[in-house]
Amino acid sequence: MNFRFIVKPELCIGCRSCELACSFTHAIENVRSLTRISPIDGGFKDLWVPVTCLQCDDAACIKSCLVDALKRNPVTGAVELNQEVCVNCMACVAACPFGCAILDTQHDMVVKCDLCGGDPACAHFCPTKALEWKPIEVKKKQAV
Amino acid sequence: MIHITINGKVVECKDGEMLLSVIRRERIDVPTLCHHEAVEPSGACRLCTVEVTKPEWDGWCDYVTSCLYPAKDGLIVNTHAPKVNELRKSILDMYLARHPKSLKIKQLAADYGVLATSLETVVDGNNCILCTICTRICDHMGFSAISTVGRGHGKEVAPPLDMAPADCVGCLACAKNCPTDYIEYETGNGRLKIWNKEFEMVACTVCGKTTVTKEFAEHLSQQRDIPFEYFEKCDECHRKELSATMGKIANWEREVRS
Ligand code: FES
Repeated sequence: MNFRFIVKPELCIGCRSCELACSFTHAIENVRSLTRISPIDGGFKDLWVPVTCLQCDDAACIKSCLVDALKRNPVTGAVELNQEVCVNCMACVAACPFGCAILDTQHDMVVKCDLCGGDPACAHFCPTKALEWKPIEVKKKQAV
Repeated sequence: MIHITINGKVVECKDGEMLLSVIRRERIDVPTLCHHEAVEPSGACRLCTVEVTKPEWDGWCDYVTSCLYPAKDGLIVNTHAPKVNELRKSILDMYLARHPKSLKIKQLAADYGVLATSLETVVDGNNCILCTICTRICDHMGFSAISTVGRGHGKEVAPPLDMAPADCVGCLACAKNCPTDYIEYETGNGRLKIWNKEFEMVACTVCGKTTVTKEFAEHLSQQRDIPFEYFEKCDECHRKELSATMGKIANWEREVRS
């Protein structure tokens, strides 16, 4: 089944549960990791936009990686960063036009959203359903 | 798929897969200093040495660098055989003499019970352990700005003719992946200095934060077809920009609904 990560900023209350869920889920040796998602002020009263990787089709991060550490997972559709291969050159951090590849200074490594391998923790913890992980219907292309 | 035995446990792996990657997958701790997943193995540090044998070898065994040894069906591997441990001990003893200040070497040596080197330590400033991770990464990224020069005692990592390397873009991958933090660089004031070459950093047009050098950004934008304006804002300002754009749409949605 195909799933899609759906973000509805109009429902977000800026409680930052997603941040906690994310950084605990990606903890390394019991040390919290930097969150890959965060609600940012949307410029209007009581409006927050949960900003996270958009998993672009023509992703600048993949193009910028000179060691092929970034690859798309064919199952989830997420662009995943292989930490073992990454050489910390910051190319993707600089190239992403949405600023969603970020440097975790505590662990000294670049991190980005990987949709938790196909079950994003943030969506589970969002109390208002501003974040959802939903199955989508794939309409078969009709023969013309 | 073939089967090999590692420390008494039978594990499945691909034919010809390097032993070290099978060992790592089994979460067995084998020390390495010259291994990096991004590049081909080179067998420089010798720390990943393991004992291998086969039933038909009549009790003979071989000591091989696991990062360069392809797995073959029926191979029996011992990653911590007494002789292997002895070997690692003496190698670490030498590394400790070469680079007495490196935290990583100190830690590895302590793990093997070597608390102080039994040899004469090398003078400061000549402590490169020649693992060649830096040169291999530089080659692999397509710059080849540095390489090993000289032989024997005089062998070192350096740019050609010891001049500021024309091909270096200042990505810092060499320095950041050096296991002993031997490669030095200076940053500050929107500039970067490495290998005697000075670079200007791209400053965020909004907040002034710097991430990569101008040369690196230009290289990526030309070679990889990424618009240069992507590099002109820092990650944080990009996120703010995204939230402002999405915010407008969401606000409109909210007003329509209410
Ligand atoms: S990792 Fe095999 S020799 Fe260094």
